[in-house]
Amino acid sequence: MALIATNALTKRYGSVTALDGLTVEIEPGIVGLVGSNGAGKSTFIKILLGLIDATSGSATVFDLDVATHGVQIRELVGYMPEHDCLPTDQSATDVVSHLAQISGLPRTAARERTAEVLRHVGLYEERYRAIGGYSTGMKQRVKLAQALVHDPRLLLLDEPTNGLDPAGRDEMLELVHRTGTEFGIAVIVASHLLGEIERVCDHLVAIEGGKLLRSAPLHAFTERIGTLAVEVGEGRDLLAARLAAAGLQTAVDGPSVLIDLVDERPFDLVRDTVAELGLPLVRIEQRRHRLEDLFRDAPQADGSGNGVAASAPVAVSTTAAPASGDGQPGDGR
Amino acid sequence: MTESTQRVSASSRTGSIYDLGYRRYEGPRLGRGYAVRALALDSLKTAYGIGHGGRAKIAPIVFGAIAILPAIIVVGFLALASRLGARSELEGASPITYDTYYSSITAVITLFCAAQAPELFSRDQRHGVIALYFARALRRADYAVARLAGFGVALLILLLLPMVILLIGRVLLSTDVAAAFGDDLPKLPAVVAQALVIASLFGSLSMAVCAFTPRRAYAIAGIIALFLIPGIVAGIVIGIGTSGGSTGSIGSVLVLLAPGTILDGTSALFFGKDLPEELAFFNLPMWTFLASAIVISVLATLLAVRRFVRMAT
Repeated sequence: MALIATNALTKRYGSVTALDGLTVEIEPGIVGLVGSNGAGKSTFIKILLGLIDATSGSATVFDLDVATHGVQIRELVGYMPEHDCLPTDQSATDVVSHLAQISGLPRTAARERTAEVLRHVGLYEERYRAIGGYSTGMKQRVKLAQALVHDPRLLLLDEPTNGLDPAGRDEMLELVHRTGTEFGIAVIVASHLLGEIERVCDHLVAIEGGKLLRSAPLHAFTERIGTLAVEVGEGRDLLAARLAAAGLQTAVDGPSVLIDLVDERPFDLVRDTVAELGLPLVRIEQRRHRLEDLFRDAPQADGSGNGVAASAPVAVSTTAAPASGDGQPGDGR
Repeated sequence: MTESTQRVSASSRTGSIYDLGYRRYEGPRLGRGYAVRALALDSLKTAYGIGHGGRAKIAPIVFGAIAILPAIIVVGFLALASRLGARSELEGASPITYDTYYSSITAVITLFCAAQAPELFSRDQRHGVIALYFARALRRADYAVARLAGFGVALLILLLLPMVILLIGRVLLSTDVAAAFGDDLPKLPAVVAQALVIASLFGSLSMAVCAFTPRRAYAIAGIIALFLIPGIVAGIVIGIGTSGGSTGSIGSVLVLLAPGTILDGTSALFFGKDLPEELAFFNLPMWTFLASAIVISVLATLLAVRRFVRMAT
């Protein structure tokens, strides 16, 4: 059975619909819950925790109904909220061990687990100081620690990298990744930053406007390699025409010719064609679609398969990966 | 990367000698009842500032000292009088006895509630910690009840400690310890009963105020207003009534709603005294004060619990 299963889950706040008939099954692993702000990520997580009731529809966690078995579910779930949730006048050790007890751990076990978990998240001597003096990064670590201290089977992390600088983000993502992979804890990470989340997840659930856009393994999102951009010093249109004549889908974008990549065939063809025409080749670069582009092209809920159309060639990535292997014969000439 | 190499890299990065890494917890999970007890104990400690740094202890220590002070003064004078052989005269003249003690420290108890109840019932809202509690293995109503239980016990300690001092002082300073103990013992049930009424009434009303605001200042103002204003209004109505004016049934209702007059009534009931003159004027049976205290406590608790259950997190 699925770790989490929802059926037509709907939540309305007055006239605002936060979740709109969300039906999804989530298997154990590191799952990214992606969507823009207000897409319904936090609402979804809170319903799973039994923190708020759904307006209609149902949801189960560990095959337990969230509406009736909240206590049993929460005993085995760790939750890291998006917002500030720490008292300022207590030390991390005091707060985390107290919360461990509230999760049902005996006093001594709570203390031991607290020491271990705070070390795991990278808090050392400072854990005895009042949290009021912590940096944002340290507070985020404490928030993660309190979610882990009772050794949950499932971690629900709501924007864990919120407010962190780039180095802090990397460390937090690394922690999330380690926690999910080394310790066998299922993790759901909500984020609006797709570039971050794809680094740690093995499955993505995309929601928008409270609706499911897509739920698929990460590789299904990124396996469509995307676009090959060939930049030439001159003769751009000539190259485009030649390649089109050879049966490739092409488009032009600035100095580059963009070729839809479906398989490996275009690499050789591009090399040969450029050589044949004697064009000054500046670079060949394989552009991976950003996940935003994939979502933008999949407006309807699509729970299965890779029904995402290749994005328009104008969707230029900033996280472009250089082409590999035989793709760069005349680079930098 | 394998687990072992990760651990090595983790420990070399952090420089710790031992890095056991993350381990699974296989021990017992004690569930809801245990969580409630742990939270109640934490609430009791928090009410006295324990575990929250030095500044958090100032208010409870000051108010606690003031609440105990009359008992210490009485015992001190008693010791002096016993030496001078004037004990019986002093006892007759002392304004502070078991049955009058609480009315003399009501103001301090009010201040204690105003200072410390927000620490228990508003602070978690203010810092967002409440989301972490609600995300754990207890229900929201459990949270409210546990916090209230802790605060109630804190109030009971504050109320009973001076009485214990008074009792011990009186007994030890008498010539016949056993007889003195026998004399004072029959008064204890009334003392405990009155302390229970005060703790439940003040505790539940304080929680009801604090549940509705994360702001400490508002909670303090709300508690003081709730404890004092009905009493002031009741005092005015009593004044009108006793000076010959007509108050109708409003006066009766008011003296049954103001915490101060309720406690005067229950005190008279428990200690077997007559109602104070101004309360006797309204011709209410004594039990109505106790009934009112119970009803108000229950309603305030339900209101607060309902608020916590519906609170957005």
